[in-house]
This record gives sequence, C-alpha cells and structure tokens, in this order.
Amino acid sequence: MDHPNRPRPSLGDSYPVAGLMRAVLEKGKAFRFEARGTSMHPFVQDGDTVTVRPLASGRPRMGDVVAFVHPATGGVRIHRVVKADSGTYRLKGDNALGEDGAFPREAILGRVVRVERRGRARRLGPALRSAALARLSRSFWFTRLCRRARRTLGRREGRA
Amino acid sequence: MTEKIDLSRIYGPSDDVVVREIEGEIVIVPLTSGIGDLEDELFTLNETGRDVWARIDGLRPLAAVIRELAAQYDAPDGLIQNDVVGLLQELYDRRMIVEKG
Repeated sequence: MDHPNRPRPSLGDSYPVAGLMRAVLEKGKAFRFEARGTSMHPFVQDGDTVTVRPLASGRPRMGDVVAFVHPATGGVRIHRVVKADSGTYRLKGDNALGEDGAFPREAILGRVVRVERRGRARRLGPALRSAALARLSRSFWFTRLCRRARRTLGRREGRA
Repeated sequence: MTEKIDLSRIYGPSDDVVVREIEGEIVIVPLTSGIGDLEDELFTLNETGRDVWARIDGLRPLAAVIRELAAQYDAPDGLIQNDVVGLLQELYDRRMIVEKG
C-alpha cells in the first residue's frame, strides 16, 4: 500500500478551483487561492494570492472585483464589475480589451477582499476609486492606452 | 495532548471541511480557521488514500475499515493498520475527521 497522502499539486491555470470555491463560499467562509493570468493587471498579477469572500445577501457594486465562473471555460475568473444594471452585472478584466458579458447575480461567486503579492497584502483602494476604474475600464481606448503604457514601461525597464 | 486514534471508535468527516474529487484525487479543504485556504492548508489523498477516505463515513469502527482494506489490498492487517492509523491521526489532528461514536 502506497503512503496514502502526498503534497498538494501546484495550482496551474487548469486547476479546477470553481467547484471548491463555490462549496467553500456556500458555507459562508472565505476562499484563498493563487490567481493566474494577466487580465486584471496591475490590480491582480499572475501568482498573486487572492482572498474571496461570499457576497451573502449583498449585491456586487460597480467597481468591485469579483470571482465568477466563465461559462465558456468553466474556470474561475477574477474581473471587475464595470456596470450593474437591473439585476445583471457586466464584468471585464482591467487589462482585457473586451467585456466578458452580462451575468446574473447567481453567477458571481464572491468579492475579492484581499490581494497578496510576495507575502505582503496590497491596498485595495477606496470604493470611489474602484468605481472610477470601472467607468474608465469600459472605455476601449483607456484599456488600449494602459496596455501601451505597460509595454513601453516594460521595454524601458528591460533596457535599464 | 493529542488524542490517539482508537481502532474501536467510529470516525467520519468533520462538518468543517469541503471535499471534492479532482482528477482522481480527493482534495480536502479544511475550514476550521474560517477560510478555505488552497495555498497553505489544502490536503490531497491519492488512490489508496481515497479508498481509506471512502470508508471513513461515520458508520463503522476503524477496526472494520482496516479489515476491509486488508482484504481489498491482500495485505496483512498490521501493515494496513500502520498506514491507515498514520493517515487518520494526521487528519484527526488537523480536525478534518471527528469521532462519530
């Protein structure tokens, strides 16, 4: 008989966290995991540790960064609410060109309440700033401008 | 001092865990600290661990579980007992299983 337990696997992009996250949040507990990808750069970066809390009876607000299950992939995404309209929520990554679409409240698993990078908690910023970011994020040109600025800065840092 | 696993007792999963089977492994996320933490507290069981977990259902004493596993793996009871008690002690210490009777 092999030793029946072993170290946990690393959490790659394909790791199916959606079911685990939903089950934990439904018990009213927070869920902490490693985020992958760049669609929320710079707010959430690849490898950051993110804590999501259940919404309970609350509703997401514009500017909130929320976890939801993307219907196309079945995977969990962490994106921002850019518009709340009669019970549906439009979601978008700060660094993504297009929106994910409109989602009902039930599709949203929880709200991001903490982001840790290299072991240190990052400031989430005031709600007002989140709402302003959400408005700006809806603009295609703003997102393109941010991506161009990031690329330019990246090249400069690479030369330094 | 930690309580020792007792073969005559019945154990079952704690209410403070979330358990899912993912890619053939049992993944246990303890919630005792108020947070489901995949970074620091995730616990996985491989195929043999899954066979043990499936029998820790709060219905039968641990000695019966060990007899069933020894028959399944065609191995001496003592060998199975060492592995199973070692695993259950770890799960019990982490409050992932509790005594049911």
